Amino acid sequence: MLSRSAQSLYWLGRYLERAGNLCRLLQLQSESLVDRPVREIHFGWNRIYKYVQRDPPGGEIQLFGDEEYVLADSFALADDMTFERTNPSSVYSCFAQGRENARHTRHCISPEVWTCLNASYLRLQQQNMASVWRWEPRAFYQELVTDIETFGGLAECTMYHDDRWSFLQLGRLVERAQGAATLLLSQIDTAIASSQQEFHEEDWTSLLRVFYALEVYNHAYTVAVLPDRVMDLLVSDPLLPESLGRSVGLIGSEIASIGSGPYSRSGRALQRLVGRLSSMINYEWPDEEERVALLRDISGGADELHFLITEAYFDYPIQEPA
Amino acid sequence: MNFDNYILDPSIYDEMFLPGGEPRPHAQILHDTLAELSSNELATIQGRVNRTFSNESISFTVYGDAEAEERIIPVDPIPRIITASDWYTLSRGLEQRVRALNNFLEDIYGPARIISDGVIPPDMILECPQFRPEMRDFRQPYGSWVAVCGTDVIRVDDEFRILEDNLRVPSGVSYMIANRKAAKASLPRLYRSSRVQEVEQYGAALQATLRELSPNGKPDPALALMTPGVYNSAYYEHMFLAREIGAELVEGSDLVVRDRVVYMRTTEGLRQVDVIYRRIDDDFLDPQVFRRDSLLGAAGIIEAARAGNVTLANAPGTGVADDKSVYVYVPDMIRYYLGQEAILKNVETYLCRRPEDLEFTLDNLAELVVKRVGESGGYGMIIGPHATQEERDEYAKAVRANPADFIAQPVQSFSRAPCLIEGNFEPRHVDLRPFILNGLQTRIVPGAFCRVALRRGSLVVNSSQGGGGKDVWVLAED
Repeated sequence: MLSRSAQSLYWLGRYLERAGNLCRLLQLQSESLVDRPVREIHFGWNRIYKYVQRDPPGGEIQLFGDEEYVLADSFALADDMTFERTNPSSVYSCFAQGRENARHTRHCISPEVWTCLNASYLRLQQQNMASVWRWEPRAFYQELVTDIETFGGLAECTMYHDDRWSFLQLGRLVERAQGAATLLLSQIDTAIASSQQEFHEEDWTSLLRVFYALEVYNHAYTVAVLPDRVMDLLVSDPLLPESLGRSVGLIGSEIASIGSGPYSRSGRALQRLVGRLSSMINYEWPDEEERVALLRDISGGADELHFLITEAYFDYPIQEPA
Repeated sequence: MNFDNYILDPSIYDEMFLPGGEPRPHAQILHDTLAELSSNELATIQGRVNRTFSNESISFTVYGDAEAEERIIPVDPIPRIITASDWYTLSRGLEQRVRALNNFLEDIYGPARIISDGVIPPDMILECPQFRPEMRDFRQPYGSWVAVCGTDVIRVDDEFRILEDNLRVPSGVSYMIANRKAAKASLPRLYRSSRVQEVEQYGAALQATLRELSPNGKPDPALALMTPGVYNSAYYEHMFLAREIGAELVEGSDLVVRDRVVYMRTTEGLRQVDVIYRRIDDDFLDPQVFRRDSLLGAAGIIEAARAGNVTLANAPGTGVADDKSVYVYVPDMIRYYLGQEAILKNVETYLCRRPEDLEFTLDNLAELVVKRVGESGGYGMIIGPHATQEERDEYAKAVRANPADFIAQPVQSFSRAPCLIEGNFEPRHVDLRPFILNGLQTRIVPGAFCRVALRRGSLVVNSSQGGGGKDVWVLAED
């Protein structure tokens, strides 16, 4: 298929996946505002800003002040992460970018997929933080999450599973893998950075909920939430839908069905990298003592995937016609 | 809701009503169905149609002062009905016209006999900015310079007249199909009982036409639709048609020309393209031949076409035949090439390049529509009766300075049709843009994009000027 269309589909997948991850984090965050202690809310915001690698407006998020202050602050942070047009990582920006890429490649996706995305974008466009905050912010994020999941489901069942589908799927999976690695590292870094050294189970519980993994965890292990076990589940469990290992495995399948592309040097490098990532997750991870270091390697590898995909299929040097 | 408050003007043809106020026989069922709907039901229909267009983003990009705005094409749910006998006349007339225009292009870029025979004055062609000397001796398969034509037709009194031919990159056919979908959803039972001819096969007809134009009859040609990009006003249509005909939607930057062969850049490497349905203006098509600063085109594409390795549809240079001055000569072309009289008449037109026409135009500016020959989309024109004295004086100055750039036409009181405007039935002026496809054979889908001048009394139907659309029901039998 046309390289530019493939690239747009890939980015469409990435942006919507990113918007979905963000909405899930913000949904949990808005829930915590109802009944959780200030410390936990503070942890959640720091985790989100580390995840998107952005400085919060007004600099560092302070852990002081009364409850009123925390809530007021949370409004500003939620606004920044949801509706701020100048924040390239905001939910709005991700939706707008996703839709723009979909517009470029609307003839390659099914009308059902387009209409779902467009209608959701138009609804988002008509709202603002004040209107969301007044009622139930949790429900607002929940609806967006549902929209994005509906988008994924519609794509799955209305699009022909040829290269168009594979590039869309590849974008979603690369973003999912990168996002999972980044989020795990943000969790660890935020825990290290917070002045209290003690371990807070609830911070890890909320992480499990981002991955829809809390019930699985309780079932597979015990109700005692331990960071190492949480990481095992989120990194290497092959049955957890959004585990890092599962995403990397699916990336491998999509690349296999697309083929190595016209620029074989990058195409082969891409296949080797996917193999290496799988091996790190499946074979090194279980016995690894220095898990954080390994996780950083995996995260670096996941970032590298993007560059190799771009070079192998979209921006390859032009050789003579086949 | 009844039509009691619908104001008929007996001097203007109404598509639904006879001058006395009785519904026309072919519009009787439509009239009765609408009259039986409550105002609530009509509001629901309109709301649903608007929501569908908005959610699907059936849009037209309009350029304002600040930036491009994606605007949803306003759609009126009430169809305009055309009888089978009217359509018979129309389609024969359109086919005749497109045939003559193709002959004209083949001739003008070749032996130019029509000039040497004194039918058209040479300066008419040579001074036309759309005449492309670069295209001399160019060949198109089957002489089909114009593969896709969108002709603007109006009804004046009880007769169709040609307002203009669009032979470059005519748009609107996607709205024809979207409007049909809307009308079917709005009035499903009426649609079923009305025996309306289908238009959804347009994509298949376009694909067949483009395949017929495959260079050297190459079987199973690779089709591409070339768009200036997502910021073009008709991008929605480009996307829509690419999907309908199974073509890649390419931009200039996706194309590479090597050894006079056009390739597109795919995820599997370079792949040859055989037929390009280009929706990009001549000027921007090839920086080696036309505008050198074009970033939207592909260098070498004209040379590849000249070598017969790729077909461009429409061929570059077709704009000379839809120039607003050359328009006056189309009936002569029909006579000259086909030996027939034009089935569909032109609108009376004054060429300001002729001294007597210039004088007449300046003396009667208040009663005329004056247009710049090089403009389209409703830009650069003045409607005398609707303009102020200052605007007319200003415009007269420009006409005097470059008379050859202008033509004038009497203000046409073209027909009106009932539209649903803020919950009431009101008459609005409407035109008709049918599409004619021309490959090995000529194909005309029985339907058209009907453009509606939404503002009360307005005669401007252009989408770029806030015009809307409605569906056209061509009946299978009278």
